[in-house]
Amino acid sequence: MLRYRAVAAAPVRSASATWQIITDLVADTIAASGTLTRSDAMEAMAAAAPAGRMLVAGGHLDRHPLTLVAGLVHCEITTVSGTAALTTEENLNPIPGAADATTYTIYLPAPVPLAAVVAEAADGHPRLSDARPPAADDKKTAGAGPLIDMNAVRKAVAGG
Amino acid sequence: MTISTYTSTATYTRTHTATHLTDVILGTISDILADLGISASVLTRNWEQNENAIKAWITEGSLAQVILECRQPSGTVDPVIEFPVTYAATGTADTEFTASRARLARFLAKLDRVPVGTTCELLCAFNGPHSAQPGWGTGARTSTDGLQGITFGTLGRAPHASASLRYLHS
Repeated sequence: MLRYRAVAAAPVRSASATWQIITDLVADTIAASGTLTRSDAMEAMAAAAPAGRMLVAGGHLDRHPLTLVAGLVHCEITTVSGTAALTTEENLNPIPGAADATTYTIYLPAPVPLAAVVAEAADGHPRLSDARPPAADDKKTAGAGPLIDMNAVRKAVAGG
Repeated sequence: MTISTYTSTATYTRTHTATHLTDVILGTISDILADLGISASVLTRNWEQNENAIKAWITEGSLAQVILECRQPSGTVDPVIEFPVTYAATGTADTEFTASRARLARFLAKLDRVPVGTTCELLCAFNGPHSAQPGWGTGARTSTDGLQGITFGTLGRAPHASASLRYLHS
């Protein structure tokens, strides 16, 4: 299921502070996994930081999302800059769906003219990629099943 | 559940203005260096330190301009990009925080290429007394005699100040 998160950037936060918020959001999401670690996600985001701060400051992340794919998580994270940042409602809770994730990828956007900078950053950690993320529909099959077993509920209600 | 909401008010602080213009200036420098193929390590290595210094100087109103000098392997300094900051007397010049990103992208596409191995240096000039900031010391600008200037115009606006761009090249 495709989810979206928007993070207020300047004038609410500097590029560094904004990248830190995104880092915490990604790390907190990955921490929900039983097999992945928050520290690994923090390391990946630290490797991406030189490019990430440039993406934020240049306003590129306003238009080109960073995409986190982890288990059932497929989330596009963007920033909001300028006057609109002052009224942006943020949800900084961990993105649900990573509990059963055994691997994850942080797809960094690579807009012109920062493509080479982003590619260099993506080479800095195996969890980073500057490739185009898979379509969210591809992930739907993994998350298409209902979260509630309605047959079990019916049985319970019927006293079966 | 943690949901943070920023409520719009008519009260924009100088810190908002400084944060916005610092982002606009550093973001533009990032794009210029990437476009010219110049290593941005001078910027990325101490990003937070540079960010804090420029923001502090805009907040106190002492920053006259940020200057990016590109030094070619021959020793020639070309191009030089200036980011003058203009302050509004009352803080009501604009009530919006804007950036001319699309126009900047078109402008960057027209920049001259520079030789491989060109490096860059970040400098700041001041209107008068200014606070000391970590990592920043006294420096001197290289003469821009012989360089031609192209004025981009306003790069970013905020309630208390605005930043523009001037591109100097041979």
